[in-house]
Amino acid sequence: MALFAIENLTFTYPGSITPALVGINLDVNDGEFLVLCGQSGCGKSTLLRHLKGALTPHGARNGSISFKNVPLDEVSFRAQTSAIGYVLQNPENQIVTDKVWHELAFGLESLGYENAIIRLRVAEMASFFGIQDWYHKSVYELSGGQKQLLNLASVMTLQPDVLILDEPTSQLDPIAAADFLATIHKINNEIGTTIILSEHRLEEVLPGASRVIVMNQGQIACEGSPAHIGHELKRTDDPMLYAMPTPMRTYLALEDNVESVCPVTVRDGRDYLQKYQPAVSVESAIPVQPATSMKAGIPQTTTSTGEPISTLKHGICDASDCHDVYAEHESLNRGDIHDGYDCSDSRDIYAEHDRSDSRDIYAEHDRFGGNDSRDISEHAERGSSDDMHNGHDRRQSHDSPIVTLKNIWFRYEKNASDILRGLHLTVYRGEMYCIVGGNGTGKTTALGVLSGLYRPYRGKAQMLGVDITKSKIASLPQGSIAVLPQDPQTLFTRNTIKEDLMDMTKSKERIDDIAELTEITDLLEMHPYDVSGGEQQRAALAKVLLTEPKLLLMDEPTKGMDSFFKRKLAEILRNLRANGMTVILVSHDLEFCAMYADRCALFFDGSIVTENVPREFFSGNSFYTTAANRMSRHIFEDAITVEDVIEKCQTII
Amino acid sequence: MRDTFSSCNPIVNFIYFTCVLVITMCVKHPVILGISFASAMIYSIYLNGMKAIKFNIFFLLPLMLIAAIINPAFNHEGMTILTYIRDNPITYESIYYGIAAAVMIGSVILWFSCYNAIMTSDKFIYLFGKMIPALSLVISMALRFIPRYKIQIKRITNAQRGIGRDISAGNLIGRIKSGVSILSIMITWALENGVDTADAMRARGYGLKGRTSYSNFRFDVRDWTLTVVLMVLFIMVVIAIRAHFISIVYFPAFVMNDFDGIVFILYAAYAALCLLPLLLDIREDIVWRSLRLKI
Amino acid sequence: MPNYYLISLLLIVLAIAAFAMAFERRKPQARDLVIVAVLVAIAVASRAAFFMVPQVKPMIAIIIIAGVSLGAQSGFLVGALAGFLSNFIFGQGPWTPWQMFALGIIGFLAGILFRRSPLKTKRLPVCIFGGFSTLVLYGLIVDTSSAMMFTPRLSKEVLLTTYLAGLPFNAIHAVSTMIFLLILAKPMIEKLSRVKKKYGLVES
Repeated sequence: MALFAIENLTFTYPGSITPALVGINLDVNDGEFLVLCGQSGCGKSTLLRHLKGALTPHGARNGSISFKNVPLDEVSFRAQTSAIGYVLQNPENQIVTDKVWHELAFGLESLGYENAIIRLRVAEMASFFGIQDWYHKSVYELSGGQKQLLNLASVMTLQPDVLILDEPTSQLDPIAAADFLATIHKINNEIGTTIILSEHRLEEVLPGASRVIVMNQGQIACEGSPAHIGHELKRTDDPMLYAMPTPMRTYLALEDNVESVCPVTVRDGRDYLQKYQPAVSVESAIPVQPATSMKAGIPQTTTSTGEPISTLKHGICDASDCHDVYAEHESLNRGDIHDGYDCSDSRDIYAEHDRSDSRDIYAEHDRFGGNDSRDISEHAERGSSDDMHNGHDRRQSHDSPIVTLKNIWFRYEKNASDILRGLHLTVYRGEMYCIVGGNGTGKTTALGVLSGLYRPYRGKAQMLGVDITKSKIASLPQGSIAVLPQDPQTLFTRNTIKEDLMDMTKSKERIDDIAELTEITDLLEMHPYDVSGGEQQRAALAKVLLTEPKLLLMDEPTKGMDSFFKRKLAEILRNLRANGMTVILVSHDLEFCAMYADRCALFFDGSIVTENVPREFFSGNSFYTTAANRMSRHIFEDAITVEDVIEKCQTII
Repeated sequence: MRDTFSSCNPIVNFIYFTCVLVITMCVKHPVILGISFASAMIYSIYLNGMKAIKFNIFFLLPLMLIAAIINPAFNHEGMTILTYIRDNPITYESIYYGIAAAVMIGSVILWFSCYNAIMTSDKFIYLFGKMIPALSLVISMALRFIPRYKIQIKRITNAQRGIGRDISAGNLIGRIKSGVSILSIMITWALENGVDTADAMRARGYGLKGRTSYSNFRFDVRDWTLTVVLMVLFIMVVIAIRAHFISIVYFPAFVMNDFDGIVFILYAAYAALCLLPLLLDIREDIVWRSLRLKI
Repeated sequence: MPNYYLISLLLIVLAIAAFAMAFERRKPQARDLVIVAVLVAIAVASRAAFFMVPQVKPMIAIIIIAGVSLGAQSGFLVGALAGFLSNFIFGQGPWTPWQMFALGIIGFLAGILFRRSPLKTKRLPVCIFGGFSTLVLYGLIVDTSSAMMFTPRLSKEVLLTTYLAGLPFNAIHAVSTMIFLLILAKPMIEKLSRVKKKYGLVES
């Protein structure tokens, strides 16, 4: 039975010329688990909001939507309230009351149920969701994940036929997100509620989905089962391919049979990769593996001068390409300085290899990446020629640590427990240093110490050559350190983004430059709250960059970003680092760190447990690592990104 | 401290506080006030511990002193003159009256400190949820927003520091200015994000006719018993006052009712009213002790 | 001797109840409730933004702005509820109804005076109203209540002394309210009218 039948739906927001939805035709069947994906601003939310009368936006509309064969406009508000459940993106904003129990009862109160019935329904839901332990708590005591679970539970008390969720996990950390999505699957499997979900975290969602709808610019680009949607994306050269789970992308790059079943989970991906197993011997014959250099007796991942080995990074379609060229350049210059078990030799070969290889890789990506990767290779080329120019300067700057923390101890109050416990950290100029780790390990506090917000009670902290444990952070040149906060909305004061930027500088030129760099030129006249989350993030970045920081600290910059914005962000950061800026970021996004970091560090229990270049870092971890590594670690020792896996597989063939 | 009375139905809590507050505020009888003050003091210390003791010494005592001084200083009624200050008579009666006023204000404030410990916001919302459903929801929402806004103010402050706007430095005007800009960011944020909250309310059917108001509270036998006991005691005291068994006149001369058996019972009734929560706790203690002994 | 305290308390409770019932009768929509709750919470939480200057409280300024942009009835409710809820944090007391009433009346008058008036966009009149209402309305109402609490036998002298004793505090409060209104009124009224459009609250 079709629960929803959408026919030829076209919708335009007031004051807008281009329609937000164009000719949407979609049937949603009872009991389905439908995943809606697409780039930010593709119309996902607009479409979802059309499925609930109370949330339908104002504007010009054509076409029809029916619910259980009745036009949706004719389904009463009361019937819609209980039959169609809706969970919004931001867990904080949707909670209405101050107590958990009251929130659970809210919808049932609206429907006018008696106390006894509400008590029963609330008790059921609280038990199903495991909420009974915090049933009497105030909402502000809950974690973000608990809040979103509460939103879900308080919708489920209405016993809806269909549950609509608009990017429900975008504000959650990976563990809370996985919990939440597992609960959604449980609801679908055990209660049979139809699920319509829009998500960026496809790795976790797709395995349980029955159908995937990909949207692009207000239209449905393609649809199909998770196992087949990939072929369709590949055929139409859809950029959404990049957002698909790692096993799928790997498979699609290597296989051409459009009828075949695409692996969706890491387990399926592992099974698929088995066919490359016999080739291990061939693989180890390749001389340029960092793992090989380890075997060759190089125990450390930083050279004797403390220079990070980031320059060794493999040529994947990202910033590291310019480093590779630079690495070659540098090692030629420095070959004589190093001695003993120096890695400069291997580095030469490595860089050489990369350079010759990289074209192929790009060509490979062009196959399904379209213009995007061409852009990137262009950038990379531009970057490398720049590097050739000022390679000498860069080398010097590379050697100088910009941040040195030694044995830092910090706690918020005298009687509280220590948050940072003997933290050591050295970051070099121009580096992109990523700190990963679980919640509550002290990552964000460490960022606070770096920004001068918190002063450690023990230890030494040198920032940009100034000892900040002795003198005040204020003695640093104004704006030399800037922080991009997790919540970009904490930075906007004015009625337009332009006015906000003008708070930072009077120079119109600089604003234009920054706006171009962060790609917000078209948004300058808009109100900061009228643009999308990703755009807000870029506007916030623009504002922060106007302080001309030498060191940029970022807290979860990719939170809630789709894969396109992530790549855009990586590109912006690379341009900035080319001009000598250093970036330290704290993130849960392992894929992002693996792709773009120079070095990664694992934060645990108030200090850094291990740090290394991404390749070594992620191939050294067994659990806390990228999906590509988990999927391929039984075959390749050090493939950490999809591109790595694809490349290695191709070498074997 | 685990308090049995606060686990009773909010209606019982509310009746209790209304009774003791009305009597405390209306009757300036020394014995009644004394009973009020002593019970309120004991109960507030029982509920709030050390915090209550500190509060009593540093806030309550000075306040009561002021009240005790203001009355004789401005009120020159009464016939027993103690002395003259700048040609104004200071009378014994007005001193007594001042002390009574001081004890009254002290008791009222102490009763309120007990009230604050027991009548939490959700109890208030339960009491008035049916009478003023929309406003009690507004209260609940505002109580949800307030801690959230405080956290957000902190975040904004930190974010502003992160782009070089330090707000704890500078002179008064500078500080106020940066405070205002933080507030301004917070206001925009709060108002804009409120749209989502309204959507979430609509999505869960707010605005449908016949909205009910759910509560976890039950009105059980114990609550009935307590209500009856409270009302009986209260009516006894009220009758005692109306019938002048308990009476007081300060001016022109200090005249109090005589003390006899009936009056003693009436005082005891008021004391029982005031001490009801503590009596409940004592009873609970005894029950638990005997339960443990049986094991 | 009449008990001034109880009589005035009764009147005040009745006045607050009247406003409350009028609001309930209007059957307010979700958006109406949210905007009132948000403003109440801002008024209460606003103190936290000035943790470094503790004597400064922007509450009255925000209540006035609420009255100016949302009208007299909402102005009263924002004021009264802000008074009520801030006492949930700092402790309810015999002063609660008076504070609620004083703050409510300020919001109410702000709505009456400025909602439809062309003066709304001018800073000075709103500032003057803010200073005056803080000093006279809030100051006098709250001081009268404490005078009544301290000495149930009211006299002119007692009242006068209480007012004089309270004057310095009320004056500082009034000046800070004026400063807040001077800086905050215009941008905040703009923000509110933008949000009112976004919420779809029509100017009635």
